[in-house]
Amino acid sequence: MNAAAAPASPRLSMTQVLICGAAIVTLSMGIRHGFGLWLQPITMERGWTRETFAFAMAIQNITWGVAGLFAGMVADRFGAYRVLLAGGVIYALGLLLMALAPTPLAFTASAGVLLGIAQACTTYAVVYGVIGRNVDPAKRSWTMGVTAAAGSFGQFLMVPVENGLINGSSLAGLRLDGVGWQSALFVLAAMALLILPLAAGLRERGLEGGFTRPQQSIGAALREAFAYPSFQLLMAGYFVCGFQVVFIGIHMPSYLKDHGLTPDVATTALALIGLFNVFGTYAAGSLGQRWPKRYLLSGIYALRSVAIVIFLLAPLTPWSVYIFSAVMGVLWLSTVPPTNAVVAQIFGVQYMSMLAGFVFLSHQVGSFLGVWLGGKLYDATGSYDIVWWIAVALGVFAAIVNLPVREMAIVRAAGAAA
Amino acid sequence: MNLKRVAWMAGALAVCALVFAAYLRPDMTFTLATAVWNCF
Repeated sequence: MNAAAAPASPRLSMTQVLICGAAIVTLSMGIRHGFGLWLQPITMERGWTRETFAFAMAIQNITWGVAGLFAGMVADRFGAYRVLLAGGVIYALGLLLMALAPTPLAFTASAGVLLGIAQACTTYAVVYGVIGRNVDPAKRSWTMGVTAAAGSFGQFLMVPVENGLINGSSLAGLRLDGVGWQSALFVLAAMALLILPLAAGLRERGLEGGFTRPQQSIGAALREAFAYPSFQLLMAGYFVCGFQVVFIGIHMPSYLKDHGLTPDVATTALALIGLFNVFGTYAAGSLGQRWPKRYLLSGIYALRSVAIVIFLLAPLTPWSVYIFSAVMGVLWLSTVPPTNAVVAQIFGVQYMSMLAGFVFLSHQVGSFLGVWLGGKLYDATGSYDIVWWIAVALGVFAAIVNLPVREMAIVRAAGAAA
Repeated sequence: MNLKRVAWMAGALAVCALVFAAYLRPDMTFTLATAVWNCF
């Protein structure tokens, strides 16, 4: 049996999947991206330490990774629609409770656990499952690229929007007052509820009651994936992606500060990463349609290492920071479409969300280590040098391990799938 | 590349340029810089 065979159910149109999926990912990735803007107002108002806030965000990231496994399983078995509905409601609830949380524990439960679950239910893995099942393989990587670019755009867009909500802004000469940090979270909760009508556009009728006759059990799918070397290689590569991206995103401002650069250089750098990330993810999806994805992934990781080496060896100036940020922006989330497209190509689409969830968990473990090790080694050595070079070495490692990935559909013996 | 695709690309570029400009506004730079710098 060919693993790429799609379940026999009426397909949604590609335009519908693209519009609804991209809008959902824009909202879900965007809303969470500006949470750093709440650090100061919340900790000051509640009298908490920054560690309280940071701990809740760390829990959110880990919960996102772990809950993603289960969200993927449910989405594959009963359809993404129900998972997205639940995710939209949990997202809104989490934001409401984040605004009202009176204690650190309540804050961790809402901003950490609930929002982590919500993200697992409303981001790439779940939406990519719908794309995999409904979009022709010839257009799949491109569609994933557009959806990932929408998520990147959401991240890029929502930081200034959220800042405007909290502090106010002026637009075309008109001064718009902010609503304050608490009401801004209420507004975001209302925005999260927009996921509910958008989810209706991803309702797959054939999955309403689950697959009538599962071609493969969840356990068999997991055993098959974890025994398949290419899946392990993809997970290893994605781990590196998480490590590099989050280390740079979190620790680069501190690195620039240590080297005497001004805060506006750091903010422009973050803006450039956001801007070029949109184009990079789209380009990766498009190129993945034409080139072998293993080479594309290998190239992305290799280029990241080259960019970091040049950045470290060149004199550090605002312009070197801007050029590095633009290059890293192009390479930022560009691993997302090809990695997920390869998973679909190898294992088919029946358990795509679940398997993408496992690969993403590896990404989140890498993210955790990138943040933690960055801080730990900085405290131990007084510099980020060692972590930068670890990031370079990991990039070379990821470039190498992606090369032998087999992109062909796995061939299963008759009767072995059940 | 057809006209529809070019129009889409131009629209996307314009929107991204507008958002990027929002980051460079002094109030936004100040807020972001405060948020980012205060973490370290």
